Amino acid sequence: MSLDILNQEPIRFLLSFGVVLFLVLNLAAIFTMAERKVSAYIHLRFGPNRVGPRGLLQPAADVFKLFTKENLAPSRADIWVFLAAPIAMFLPAALVWLVVPFAPNAVIADLNVAIVFFIAMTSIGALGLIMAGYGSRSSFSLLGALRGAAQMISYEVPLILSLLGVIMLSGSLSLVDVVNAQAGGFWHWYFLPQLPMFVVFYIAGLAEARRVPFDLPEGESEIVGGFMVEYSGMTWALIQAAEFASMGLISAITVTLFFGGWQPPFEFLDLGNFNWFWFGLKTSILVFTFQWVRWSLPRLRMDQLMDLGWKILVPASLIWLFVTAGAMLLLPSVF
Amino acid sequence: MPQLGQGILKGMGITFKHIFDKKITRAYPEYKRDLPERSRGMLTVDMDRCIACLQCMRICPDHCISIEQTKRDADGSGKPKPYAIGFVIDDSRCMYCSLCVEVCPVNCIYHTEEFEAQAYNRLELARQFGERPVDPTIDPKPAVKKKKPAGKAAAGQGAEGKAAPKKAPRKAPNKEDAA
Amino acid sequence: MLSEERRTEQVSLGSRASARLAGSDIRDEFGLETLDMNMGPQHPAMHGLLRLILELDGETVVRCDPVMGYLHRSKEKISENRMYPAVVPITDRIDYMNNIAMEYGYCLAVEKLLDVEITPRADAIRALMNEFGRIMSHIPSVGFLMLELGAFTPILYAFRERERIQSIFEAVTGARMMFHYIRIGGVKADLPEGMPEKMWEYIEGLESRFDNDFVDLIEGNEIFRARTRGVGKMTPEKALEMGLTGVPLRCTGVPFDVRKHYPYGWYKNLDFDVVTDAAGDVEGSYRCRIGEVRQSIRMIKQILENLPEGEVMADMGRRLRPREGDGIGRVESARGEYAVHVVSDGSDTPYRVHYRTPCTVNMQLLQEIVPGHYLPDIMPIMGLIDPVSGAWDK
Repeated sequence: MSLDILNQEPIRFLLSFGVVLFLVLNLAAIFTMAERKVSAYIHLRFGPNRVGPRGLLQPAADVFKLFTKENLAPSRADIWVFLAAPIAMFLPAALVWLVVPFAPNAVIADLNVAIVFFIAMTSIGALGLIMAGYGSRSSFSLLGALRGAAQMISYEVPLILSLLGVIMLSGSLSLVDVVNAQAGGFWHWYFLPQLPMFVVFYIAGLAEARRVPFDLPEGESEIVGGFMVEYSGMTWALIQAAEFASMGLISAITVTLFFGGWQPPFEFLDLGNFNWFWFGLKTSILVFTFQWVRWSLPRLRMDQLMDLGWKILVPASLIWLFVTAGAMLLLPSVF
Repeated sequence: MPQLGQGILKGMGITFKHIFDKKITRAYPEYKRDLPERSRGMLTVDMDRCIACLQCMRICPDHCISIEQTKRDADGSGKPKPYAIGFVIDDSRCMYCSLCVEVCPVNCIYHTEEFEAQAYNRLELARQFGERPVDPTIDPKPAVKKKKPAGKAAAGQGAEGKAAPKKAPRKAPNKEDAA
Repeated sequence: MLSEERRTEQVSLGSRASARLAGSDIRDEFGLETLDMNMGPQHPAMHGLLRLILELDGETVVRCDPVMGYLHRSKEKISENRMYPAVVPITDRIDYMNNIAMEYGYCLAVEKLLDVEITPRADAIRALMNEFGRIMSHIPSVGFLMLELGAFTPILYAFRERERIQSIFEAVTGARMMFHYIRIGGVKADLPEGMPEKMWEYIEGLESRFDNDFVDLIEGNEIFRARTRGVGKMTPEKALEMGLTGVPLRCTGVPFDVRKHYPYGWYKNLDFDVVTDAAGDVEGSYRCRIGEVRQSIRMIKQILENLPEGEVMADMGRRLRPREGDGIGRVESARGEYAVHVVSDGSDTPYRVHYRTPCTVNMQLLQEIVPGHYLPDIMPIMGLIDPVSGAWDK
């Protein structure tokens, strides 16, 4: 792993590791708070402002409330599947954070197949969704789970295709190598040569994180929360945590692949081991765009979702893959 | 398809601009806006002026006002007059329609600016104004419906029509005494 | 257990729904079972308390049976036991999004019985408040439509406008929602000092905000178009056959408006257009509502520009005892034609009051139009009809 780093700079590593761990564990709470504040400001409201200074302790109050609530299960539910589903949803989203490079020397596990690991783990997320929908024994949950499964499997295809361009350019499946390949100013970041791929990845990422306009598995206005309609208390909180963790994860992966990860926008802004600041800033901006999109747009319908995925995103990414490959073949000096 | 995404971006621009707009929420318990002059809040009665004419009780669509009427020589003129010994307004029923306020001949029932009515029990919302409490759960008898046969003469109409509603409320206090 | 439940439902629902619910394993031509789903009456996105019994084939609705009556408060029977003026606050509760039109219809019906002359100022103020009521109902309707499509933001902008109009209403009538302002013979009180100027100021402000918050934000949105275009499509013939009124009828292109064709009150003196749209789908109804808000703004400006002077209440006497006979008052409420039929037997209280609410009639559209659509399309179709629970159950 990274024992040599531990030998060289044990204090700095421990510090960054602690911050990273804290961030990942509290991601759901922070993002919930951010979401509520962003939505409130878009709606000309104040948002939570009662608990603590400027309402900043609201997430703690929420967690406390959810801990004290009873876990209800429908009487005819498949109880083991029902209870295992939130864990099956949370774990994949949390595990991928292990391979995300936060700062030059702060990556918990530098896998040489990190991108494949990311794809594999997000695919498993659909399993938890189906478990939740099947285990609840409710027609609302079942519809939500079926929608979720169809959506996540369909959008896996454009997600992977849009990653291929980056892999071709960097020549590595390791996220650390991808970040290192984007060193030296923002004009070296991959979002410029791979702009269509970035758009496809962003849209597919929205769908993978089940955010508006692709929140069909939840579908508040027709199936009232879909697969999580029967959950309450901490099981519900775990599902929410998984949702927010996967939202943060998609943002972090997007930053790593297309916006140079922890690389500063200009070389003179290099902060050394404190470059995680750039990573955090870029991720926060992306998370904000996720929330901004959510509170601006209506939801798509299932058939339109499939149309968008298979008829627009997949051909677009295939075309740009071809263009990238052609450019690399014809202009080897540039790449 | 040439303009695909334009409408979405335009809408997102509008929501982004609204982030920096002035907030329109008022933090309620700390900030209380001034109520307009005509605002209709909870009812109150000035019992000194009440002449126990029972008109408010009769017009009230929800029967939320119950009055127990006696005869008493209140002003020392030697002649006993109707006197409201019990007066209850049940706020759990009141719908703030203001009909009783308009009908009152001496303007003794009126709206206050108060509107925060809350209690753990519905009966707590029944506010007593008289000397003797009145049970708010007993409906005062609603205005008696006088159906007239189609051919009836106009002369009988006035006399009977006037007599009917007057009788009705008088029965109500008696009933409540019995209860 | 389940079969027993179904049998009970079969009895209570009559033939339409029972055909499906009695046989537990009806299969389609591929031998696949369809899915029963019960939407409502406690459904977060449903308009009020409506229960829909749905039969789904995948996501496609095969059958839709609306079950009404969860908010039945017997307004018609209560009205028979109240004196004539005391019925007005009860009519307020029928359509709680557009109360002022409900009062207007009842007062028109009783005034027909009483043969009273309404003063011009009272008539103008009635029309003025009625148009404010229409704006107050149409803007949240658009917001609700967006809420049902999954966008949460427009409803809050809509309620910002509604709250501001409610403040105007509070200053004029004394209440924010249950106004009890239009009375038999006029209106409760004249506009307060400086109110016309405040109204003018608000209307100007609304005009400047309206395009930004409710047209630019919604109309051009590609997802909105994809979700609404062609959804709930109906022909003018079908709409007329179903007896629709209001926006659901006008969005198919039939220019029927009670204010125009059977003018009442001050509407004779006003210049306005009947907004129609040829599309006859959810998008058309959205455009219709937006157009009607613009017409209402235009009407309010006309009324405020030349508001007649004078009394606002006719001399009615202490007790109302209309002649024997019946009176009908029909008005154009925000949801369609609202008519009140009052039968009098010459006593203090009405003999019979019937409220013809547009929602009850327009709701019949659901079981005709929903089958064949996808499950998520039900909510936009509800947004097209825009019923109010209190109005369809009375």
